[in-house]
Amino acid sequence: MSKPTGPPAIVFDHATIAYGRTAALERVHGTVRAGEIVALVGPNGAGKSTLIKAVLGLVPVASGSVTVLDRRPAEARRQVAYVPQADTLDPDFPVSVAQVVLMGRYRRVGWLRPPGRVDREAAAAALAAVGLEHRAADRFGLLSGGQRQRVLLARAIAAQPAVLMLDEPFNGVDAVSQEALLGAIRNLTARGAAVVVSTHDLGLAQVSCDGVCLLNRRQFGFGPPDDVLTPDTLRAAYGGAALELGDRGLILAHS
Amino acid sequence: MIETLFAPFSRPYLARALVEAVLLGALCGAVGVYVLLRRLAFLTDAITHTVFPGVVVGFLVSGRAGIVPGALVCAVIAAGLFTAIAATRRVNEDAALAVLLTAFFGIGVVLVSRQRSYTADLTAFLFGHILTVDTTDIVVTAVVAVLACVVLVGLGKELLLRAFDPEGARAAGYRITALDLVGNMLIALVVVAAVQAVGTVLVIAMLVVPAATARLLSDRLGVILAVATGLGMLGAWLGLAVSFEASRGYGVRLAAGATIVLVLVACYALVTLGQSIRRVATRAAR
Repeated sequence: MSKPTGPPAIVFDHATIAYGRTAALERVHGTVRAGEIVALVGPNGAGKSTLIKAVLGLVPVASGSVTVLDRRPAEARRQVAYVPQADTLDPDFPVSVAQVVLMGRYRRVGWLRPPGRVDREAAAAALAAVGLEHRAADRFGLLSGGQRQRVLLARAIAAQPAVLMLDEPFNGVDAVSQEALLGAIRNLTARGAAVVVSTHDLGLAQVSCDGVCLLNRRQFGFGPPDDVLTPDTLRAAYGGAALELGDRGLILAHS
Repeated sequence: MIETLFAPFSRPYLARALVEAVLLGALCGAVGVYVLLRRLAFLTDAITHTVFPGVVVGFLVSGRAGIVPGALVCAVIAAGLFTAIAATRRVNEDAALAVLLTAFFGIGVVLVSRQRSYTADLTAFLFGHILTVDTTDIVVTAVVAVLACVVLVGLGKELLLRAFDPEGARAAGYRITALDLVGNMLIALVVVAAVQAVGTVLVIAMLVVPAATARLLSDRLGVILAVATGLGMLGAWLGLAVSFEASRGYGVRLAAGATIVLVLVACYALVTLGQSIRRVATRAAR
């Protein structure tokens, strides 16, 4: 699919990201433009979450640079929304679906003030955008994994971000929720948001994304899916986990 | 029965005790919900033990009037220290807390043991003396209660987000350590307010039990907050009344602070029991 691309939203310029002295991820170089969905793919421990954290300004860039909306990552946070994996959150926490979505408005509301009518309406609209408006009053933990992931996406949508970062949103998610997530993400990009999503699903990266960043401790490719997801680069990135299947086929064994 | 609940409190010293206990019950109930959501029961326990030497030193330096300032100094140090420990994720937080709480507590006991009235003083510091609270104590508790209201109302949404999704809060640009410092300071202040009335040991029960009971009764944060606050007040009142009636009517001396705690625990046990019965009944009905 080819569509007009917007201005650069995230620019990686030979970025190396390190925890302490050990480099977690080296030489990431590429651009995510407004209106694009870019998939982060690579084996477990490849540094996908690390790269997301670097864009959020939560881990330092050791050399090179990461630029978000023409600023340093930590300075762009108000326009960047983050969707964590739903199963990292306590399902027993006494908070309703509506309350979770409303959290996306907190930064806009500001300190010391309660969310107002505008915020509640934005939250309700965001929840409707992921098709869960009928679950607003339920406790967050009562929803299925896929539905919780959709609620977290709704929270991000409520923040009306220019950049959206999602950490493995499709892991263990049923087909209905996957479609709902993808639909809502496409709506965001249609309105000009840049979206980065880490995933193990190469098929989804190929079909639904405008770009792919292939990682395993360093970058193995960054560009259109057809250019990056080739047997050669996949074999290089996945190493022993890649199994040959004849001509153009290749399967990846998850460890 | 009704008379038991109201009559004793016409005596001025019991009326003061009632005001202090109910105020403290409400304060602990509300702040306890924060403790529950952040799973800070152990940290709260550590703060209560850390405050102990402050209480002792305060008392040694300037008698009864020195207790609250002494506790306050220690509480502020403890809250800051524990926030810092949690922020540097390298040390094992549990172990560090355990070492600090025993060390501080030991210092407190050593200091008290040098006193001639060792046992009596130790008991008072650990379990409080609610029947001897004066107007100053009530004012201290009221000031802490107002502060707690300001923090919980003003920063409620940020504290909620931080408790529910710390990574998300950090990604949104909130300074987690600053929020935690505010929360820990609040807990420390509650411990200071409770020192005279229920002592440093029993305050942990007043913080944890009403919130835990309320959590059993509801999934809704607003309801949990209201029920915990209400239960804290009710437990304080009932506990005082029971303690007084037992000693006046039956000649059984029940320590007031401990009776309050036992009433709260009884509420928790009743609710747990009720829920077990309901679960069994629903299963049988199927």
